[in-house]
Amino acid sequence: MKVSGKVAFRDVETGVWVLEGDDGRTYLLAGGDRKLKKNGARIEAEGDVDGDSLTSAMVGPRLVVKSYKVL
Amino acid sequence: MRLPLVAAVCCLALAGCHAMSQAGDDDVQLNDLTRPEWTSADVPDDSSAWVPRQIVVDFKDGTTKAQFDRDEQAWGIDVELADQEEGVDSAITVGTVGDEQDEQALLEQIRQNPDVEVAEPLMTYQKSYLPNDPQFARQWNLTMINMPRAWEKTKGKGAVVAVLDTGIAYEDYGDFKQVPDLKGAKFVGGYDFVNQTSHPDDDHGHGTHVAGTIAQVTNNNQGVAGVAFEASLMPVKVLDHFGSGNSAAISDAIRWAADHGANVINMSLGGGGRSAVMENAIAYARKKGVVVVCAAGNNGRGVVEFPAAYPGSVAVSAVGPTGQRAPYSSYGTALDIAAPGGDKSRGDEFGILQNTIDPQDPAKSVYAYYQGTSMATPHVAAVAALLFAAGAKSPDEVEKALFSSAHPPQGTRAWSQEYGHGVLDAEGALKALKKLQGGQQVVVAERPNPVAQGQERIESGSRSAGSTTLSPLGTGLFDIDWKPLIWAAGLLAFVLLTLGRKERPGFLNILFSPGFAVPLVLTTVGVFFARWVGDPGSASVQLISLPIPEWLQKIIFGRGALASPIVYSAAIPLVLSLVAIKWKAVRPVVGGLAIGFAGILGYTAWAKAPALAWLPFTFLAIPWLVANGLVCLFIARALLKKEKA
Repeated sequence: MKVSGKVAFRDVETGVWVLEGDDGRTYLLAGGDRKLKKNGARIEAEGDVDGDSLTSAMVGPRLVVKSYKVL
Repeated sequence: MRLPLVAAVCCLALAGCHAMSQAGDDDVQLNDLTRPEWTSADVPDDSSAWVPRQIVVDFKDGTTKAQFDRDEQAWGIDVELADQEEGVDSAITVGTVGDEQDEQALLEQIRQNPDVEVAEPLMTYQKSYLPNDPQFARQWNLTMINMPRAWEKTKGKGAVVAVLDTGIAYEDYGDFKQVPDLKGAKFVGGYDFVNQTSHPDDDHGHGTHVAGTIAQVTNNNQGVAGVAFEASLMPVKVLDHFGSGNSAAISDAIRWAADHGANVINMSLGGGGRSAVMENAIAYARKKGVVVVCAAGNNGRGVVEFPAAYPGSVAVSAVGPTGQRAPYSSYGTALDIAAPGGDKSRGDEFGILQNTIDPQDPAKSVYAYYQGTSMATPHVAAVAALLFAAGAKSPDEVEKALFSSAHPPQGTRAWSQEYGHGVLDAEGALKALKKLQGGQQVVVAERPNPVAQGQERIESGSRSAGSTTLSPLGTGLFDIDWKPLIWAAGLLAFVLLTLGRKERPGFLNILFSPGFAVPLVLTTVGVFFARWVGDPGSASVQLISLPIPEWLQKIIFGRGALASPIVYSAAIPLVLSLVAIKWKAVRPVVGGLAIGFAGILGYTAWAKAPALAWLPFTFLAIPWLVANGLVCLFIARALLKKEKA
């Protein structure tokens, strides 16, 4: 699925990268590449939402990014 | 033909709408954060510090020996100067109250005397255990939960805490190095459920930090302290090197830890949906006497994550150094207790400091300030370990001690969505346990009944007894859960459709005949109007406001038990239908009951079946409910059939 939103670093637990989606949900970022990690960048990501995993971050479901573009 | 079909479709649509409107109601409730003001009168005087039958009387300066003697005689006790050196100048005296005298009344009498400044019970002051770890001064979190005084009573010896996490840096093995401030800590054998090895070392950094809060080596002139530092840690790796794991491995690990001697399971993890497999694993652990403590989540919103939200687990939210809920911490109706988890928006030093591995190099040790509900959770798990070390016998006892002694920094001792029963107090919990062991009662604040909040009804039935107490029913029309009734009406229409034209009674004719409607309503929504005529807070009104199967469940099995597959079956309609073979007059009555049972069984199966007791596998619950629902429908069909003229 496609999600657009803002990339953000949140200093919880050991530190996590999230996508604050325009759909109002927060996704724990996974996959993609290291350039994805830009605090404040607006992106549109294409990927799979993994609603089953449990994480130590506990900020929302994982979004495993396959591809993305910076808006 | 057409009317029953339309009725069936309408009923199912209604059930859907109702479910959605209830979800909306939840949001409103979750945001209701109004809390009453805190008064110091809410904190009971700590009478455990009083020395029995000893009082202190402080006379006004300049009181003469003659006045002492006269007053002594009037009160009927002997008072001695506390300090002979200071002599009459200090005017502080200690007296022994006679056995026949009432201490409080006597104190009251003494206070009336114009010579007296103050009179009170003699109190002992407890020592505090202050560890020599150089960075202990930075652990505001340990002072906040009264660790120095709790350590005077116990340090956790003998208790075992399983840390289900990313592993622990507990040994030198291959690339892995034990972190220095865990050198000398006690470990029992663990397991790595991610890589299937018996070396659950940490390749992430999260688990070692969490384990440090529980049992960092303390008073070793190095680094920092831990809460239950004489307890044993059981490293269980369930999260991979990115800190993520799945419900199957975690459920396995919960059962494994319970089978291998854990007293407490710490799960600083969350996410995913509701998993019946994990819910059962937690119920299994709890049944074996294990306290399961889980993080509420870091979403900052009013929803507690699973596994914290499961009935058998203690859900923990995080507070910062002021005792206020940290902005990132999740909260909600499933919350049980709050503990320090740090608030770095006030500065790094207001995180939780422990020794862990460098996230970028598992062989490198660092002291890191982290914040999160993950950091709050091990405080509670470790205090649970202290309670076991102090002789607690069951999860119920541990939870009662934790919850009754917790207190929020502001507000009353009432349960709240942000703090649960309040902020953890290690010393208070140990005192509460002592009371429980002495046969005394402790007060655990009431929490709202999940049923009244429109959650799935099954959840209330299986919620642990220790954490649930009654609260008044909502009196609005939508506080009643109409879904089983709507389901039953839909199924009635379906049953009628299967009958031939000549045998079929009219849908509305049947529905509104009292002999049929009364048992139908009682079976699905109970005496729903009782709340309007009776007191919505009374236990009997609450009981009869439940569907009949739940009356039986509660009366036979009590609160807290898992739903019984006998109650949730076709057994009762089946037995009664035998009676109806003989007496035609009771046929509509039993028919209504059978349709009602079919409605509640169908709805329960559709709403994600509960964990039924005695069934070895959770996945059997849904087929069980569906099969019994079908039997009910068959009974109803036979009873409602019109005799051919």
